[in-house]
Amino acid sequence: MNASIPEPSHDEIRDLLGAYALDAVDPETAAMVEHHLEGCLRCSTEVAQHHEVAGLLANSGGASPATLWDGIASQLDGSTPPSWGRLSARLETGADRTDDLTGGREYAAAGAGAADGAPDGAANVIPITKDRRRGRWVAWTASAVAGAAAVVAVLLGAQVHHLDRQVAALQAPLSGAEQNALKAPSTKRVQLTAHPSTGTPVDVMVVLTKSGAGFVQAGQLSRLPTDQTYQLWGVVGQKTISLGLLGARPTVVAFSVAGSAAVSAFAITAEHAGGVVQSSNQPVVAGQVSA
Amino acid sequence: MGDGVEDSVVIDVDQASDANLVVAVGRWHQPALAEVYRRHGGAVHALSRRILQSDPSAEEITQEVFLDLWKHPEKFDAQRGTLRSFLLARTHGKSVDFVRSEVARRRREERTSHETATAGYDIDHEVWDMAIADQVKEALAELPLELRQPIELAYFGGHTYRVVAEMLHQPEGTIKSRIRSGLGRLRVNLAERGVQPAGAEL
Repeated sequence: MNASIPEPSHDEIRDLLGAYALDAVDPETAAMVEHHLEGCLRCSTEVAQHHEVAGLLANSGGASPATLWDGIASQLDGSTPPSWGRLSARLETGADRTDDLTGGREYAAAGAGAADGAPDGAANVIPITKDRRRGRWVAWTASAVAGAAAVVAVLLGAQVHHLDRQVAALQAPLSGAEQNALKAPSTKRVQLTAHPSTGTPVDVMVVLTKSGAGFVQAGQLSRLPTDQTYQLWGVVGQKTISLGLLGARPTVVAFSVAGSAAVSAFAITAEHAGGVVQSSNQPVVAGQVSA
Repeated sequence: MGDGVEDSVVIDVDQASDANLVVAVGRWHQPALAEVYRRHGGAVHALSRRILQSDPSAEEITQEVFLDLWKHPEKFDAQRGTLRSFLLARTHGKSVDFVRSEVARRRREERTSHETATAGYDIDHEVWDMAIADQVKEALAELPLELRQPIELAYFGGHTYRVVAEMLHQPEGTIKSRIRSGLGRLRVNLAERGVQPAGAEL
């Protein structure tokens, strides 16, 4: 922006929000509004509301054209796309309703540093074999946390840093089915606690259903700066895997894991906003799953 | 599932919420993207086709929108609104950019700006497949013409508020304000009909 031009006032920007939300401003004005939105929650909230209303106006159209999906799928980084026909058939029959994420590509980051500041992980990710994922593990348990130098060393699929700070997406309200699942006798509840040396008692509850759906009640965690995020880890066998980023101000966060019975412990660390592929940070809270 | 559970994460795509589908997309899970497309591809394509009035171009935009979600799922913020409105906003922006570049290239040689605007003006002839369609139509119809018209010309016609002001022979500031207040009124009208647009309250 030209320094000789005075900054528009809040009111001037506010008058533009409707037109901006409908893409009815020129690029220079759009840039000016966006600059303002970065620091104004009230205006950015209003724009979000306008988008919702506009979205309702546009809520027309029929079924998604299947032929277009083929074009999209063929451009997904050369990996094998799910067949639209197979998907449609599955949705119609209700059979085979579970998809295994490991059915897709497997990736690992080139190193911990690759994740830093790189929410768009595609460029920093290389395919690996299972063997390369082994080796740099420190089995992490609650007893280890009790030690003075508890360290989490983990290696995981680099899908983690494809997620980023907007992990608020995870924080969806629980559906009725999810609520019921949490009440089932087979559902495990795991209390994660802070290391006594921190002097700050914090309790975080992890709930894990038999099917592998889980939720973290993380509202007690203190807020992190916006350039950081909490990251949830699970210990499965001798491996520690990432179960997702929780954001800087988590409340209730959903996650899922195959083979829920095999998870022996959970931990949460504080990391750079993009998440990490391996952490050397001491867990903020941790807890073992009781048998 | 091979040799174990170590890195696997399971999602039931057709039962998952939109927000959780995006999380799965973030983990490079193609069936999740396919499900997002199944749910919202029709609306994305219809909006683009309406603005562009061109099937091939609308198809290009539709593909771009979903490929963008694949590459940058983090741009969706569930606390800011629904996935559908996010995708439609992206669709609208791309479609409008396309229209404006085309208009610039052709130097408006074939159609007047007014004709371009009115071509996408008739909402009544759209196929509304959502349960809320009637309420949305009613809420829109209840808006005074002076508020409704600038919104339609801007949103469906793809015009800037300055162009809309020229078309309607009104001061730019007036049109700018009417678009904003019209959207606000529309939100209220929708709420009165039980249609509560998502998004945080101010």
